[in-house]
Amino acid sequence: MTEFQSLDFDKMTAADFEQYLPEFFSNGDGHVSTDPRLQTFLKNNPDCAALVRDLEAIADQARSLFEPTEDQDPSEAVWSNIQNKLKQSSAGEDDLPVPQTI
Amino acid sequence: MDVQGLQMTQPAHPTPGVFKRNPPIAGEAEAIEAAKNGDAEAFSKLYALHKRRVYTLCLRMLGNVSEAEDMTQEAFLHLFRKIGSFRGESAFSTWLHRLTVNLVLMHLRKKGLNLVSLEETINPSEEDAPKRDFGSRDLALTGSVDRVALERAVASLPPGYRMVFVLHDVEGFENNEIATMLECSTGNSKSQLHKARLKLRELLRHPEPAAQPNGLKEVTV
Repeated sequence: MTEFQSLDFDKMTAADFEQYLPEFFSNGDGHVSTDPRLQTFLKNNPDCAALVRDLEAIADQARSLFEPTEDQDPSEAVWSNIQNKLKQSSAGEDDLPVPQTI
Repeated sequence: MDVQGLQMTQPAHPTPGVFKRNPPIAGEAEAIEAAKNGDAEAFSKLYALHKRRVYTLCLRMLGNVSEAEDMTQEAFLHLFRKIGSFRGESAFSTWLHRLTVNLVLMHLRKKGLNLVSLEETINPSEEDAPKRDFGSRDLALTGSVDRVALERAVASLPPGYRMVFVLHDVEGFENNEIATMLECSTGNSKSQLHKARLKLRELLRHPEPAAQPNGLKEVTV
């Protein structure tokens, strides 16, 4: 990752932009499109602006994946296996309680 | 199994925003305290409350239903054994997710000894890398991304890209935390995250329904 503190944001090339884009995202709290330093560049480079919009849309939608949907449960076998393992270990050194229901 | 690393440690100061992303769940605090005292029904409640998120995290990291179920089982067995060390300095879900992430990473490292080095896993081959393609505005995503399409695209990412993307953009870990977990530099994490997003853009613009990678056929979205 390269330092961009001395970069002239209005005169940088698309290649410069591509090079520094990971840092822009990292430093801009994930929102490059609202970075005041980049407004002129993005206005003059619509393809770069489209790229930024897409990457921001992907990151925004990714946050919604944090909450799983109702069909994303593990099978019943997982809980059965946990119960069995706990039963086995409760007979040994761990002496864990054995949950019966969920 | 001895799980080393971050999952059993808690930050000296709770991270701001953690509770915003992982707000307390009704009845959870009571269940945690009861579980610490060995209440079996409280364990059942904690499983019911968190199974879906833990399983989904495993599934996204591993891309394989069977392995994801195995790791879900391991995560809860660890939780049951170690819940006494949870001090409530971070959200319980954050603590549990961290425990799960480290278990999955340990599992992958173990597999990696026989399959592929962690370095290769983190850095996908040239073939998997995103194309350097700025243009073609007519194919842009028009500012919105469908959840189902994104889930499918994430599942078909190369493992290294998928790992960093899921940890950062879905789970909300910072690049420096991911770097510690994956034993790489923060710069590497940032770079992999950016490449992952570029690859996703490519996959979303040019979906390939027939090109499901091995082991992902069971993943439903």
